[in-house]
Amino acid sequence: MFPTDSLGFDPEKTYDIIVLGGGPTAIGCAIYAARFAMDVLIIGKTFGGLIATTHIVENYPGITSVSGPGFVEMFREHMQSLNISFISDEIGSIEKVDDHFVLHSFFQKFKASTICIATGSERKKLGIPGEEEFAGRGVSYCATCDGPFFKDKVVCVIGGSDSAAKEALFLAQNAKKVYIIYRGKEIRAEPINKKRVYENEKIEIIYDTNVAEIKGDNSVKSVIFDNGKEFEVDGLFIDIGSIPNSDLAKRIGVNTNEKGEIIINRKSETNIPGIFAAGDVADAPFKQAITGVAEGVIAAYSAFDHLKQMEIEY
Amino acid sequence: MSSDEHYKEIIRKEMAKLKKPVKLKVFTSQRTQADGSKIRECMDCGQFMTLLRIYEENSNGMLTIEEMSIDDNPELVKRYDISRVPTILFIDNEGKEVIRYLAAPQGAEIQPFIQSIFTFAGAPNYYETTIKQNLGRIQPTTIKVMMTETCPYCPQVITIANMFAIASGGKIKTVIIDISANPDIGQYYAAAGVPYTIFNDKKTITGMVGPNEILRALIGGDIHVSY
Repeated sequence: MFPTDSLGFDPEKTYDIIVLGGGPTAIGCAIYAARFAMDVLIIGKTFGGLIATTHIVENYPGITSVSGPGFVEMFREHMQSLNISFISDEIGSIEKVDDHFVLHSFFQKFKASTICIATGSERKKLGIPGEEEFAGRGVSYCATCDGPFFKDKVVCVIGGSDSAAKEALFLAQNAKKVYIIYRGKEIRAEPINKKRVYENEKIEIIYDTNVAEIKGDNSVKSVIFDNGKEFEVDGLFIDIGSIPNSDLAKRIGVNTNEKGEIIINRKSETNIPGIFAAGDVADAPFKQAITGVAEGVIAAYSAFDHLKQMEIEY
Repeated sequence: MSSDEHYKEIIRKEMAKLKKPVKLKVFTSQRTQADGSKIRECMDCGQFMTLLRIYEENSNGMLTIEEMSIDDNPELVKRYDISRVPTILFIDNEGKEVIRYLAAPQGAEIQPFIQSIFTFAGAPNYYETTIKQNLGRIQPTTIKVMMTETCPYCPQVITIANMFAIASGGKIKTVIIDISANPDIGQYYAAAGVPYTIFNDKKTITGMVGPNEILRALIGGDIHVSY
């Protein structure tokens, strides 16, 4: 059962906190904020974030195994039980007006006393010839979205992370053959997933190799490796890491590091009082749903504390 | 509380949000057999109709599901140009088709479907003001959204597209297509990724699109946020 969204938005209200994002970090922050009796609203482009595209989540305490979309729906139900609204929109700018922030999108203007930026990250692109041309025609960044189109076909996953390993395992359920193409000498997946990859007869790993070009006609037909070899495939799933969605934060003067991640302290505070950040968009070294949720929860508490210190009625 | 009770409780809570009556037309392959009993030949139709009836029963009379057999209603099949089952139609008070589903929404696809029913019945539509303000810039458009049941981004795109259509007073129409159930349509449009969004059979966008991108595609230009 999937409860509905966006029915409780009040354009006149100054929210105690507006959480930007839509993944576990944003939802964790919003749930705690609601429990602190703060007026809270979540605004994000998509509900669920990157974890919604994950085949299986098995490392969240209390949940032995759940699909990514199933995990997200559990969050949604929890959120709805606290009457927290999610609005699908993109904030273009934020300005400080008196003691609150005004957030602008093309569709609406919002007011908030505090903000938590939990905008996560998005998949990195390879930046090679053919990638853009064949996007949606064999080049994909989401196995759960597009895997079913490659039943009994040959596909490759580019990348050696745990996420790439899980993409390969998901694709192997339907594809004839899955090649993991990795530039390193050993994939970096969690040992449990590494073992599953090694044991899966449909998956083969090609090490020390980069893809230099994607070729095809109406759809992908082959890739060219950096050693010049042409390799026939029907589809290509790119999973080479992610980049933080911190453009808005940078525009409003929030400090970021050389990777573009928002710099936060142990209280999830940024350099701008009243603006907090958490999850994949922030500068924590280990990025997982559960660590993001923890940072989001800390951000909610810090925002609550901030309102008290500023003597803002909440 | 058992999971069945929990499920029904959520449905009751959800359907209580429905404040105005709404009627959907659902075309199925229901046939009357020689002994008078009825069967539905479409594989997805039976399970989906059972689900819809649960929503209907818990809506305090606000939701009416009008199931029509394509065999028994040839005139309506012709009038509404029905070529597949199930086909679900949202038709406004002026008789204009606003949303067409060539799908039997299941799993995560239920959420945008129910949300569209609420909005169609007059629940707040977040995008309404902006869509109405920009109607002069929007050409009559059919937005086709190709989806599959496992696609995590599809529910979001479908929600936005349907809410745009409902706000547009007939200028935008959406067609939601499950390409697992209608693979020929997916092949016709060469869809190899979802969500796959098509505007008037010309402009296409593959992957997750937010409200800004959809609006940009509708008005054929850039949109600017006034900072």
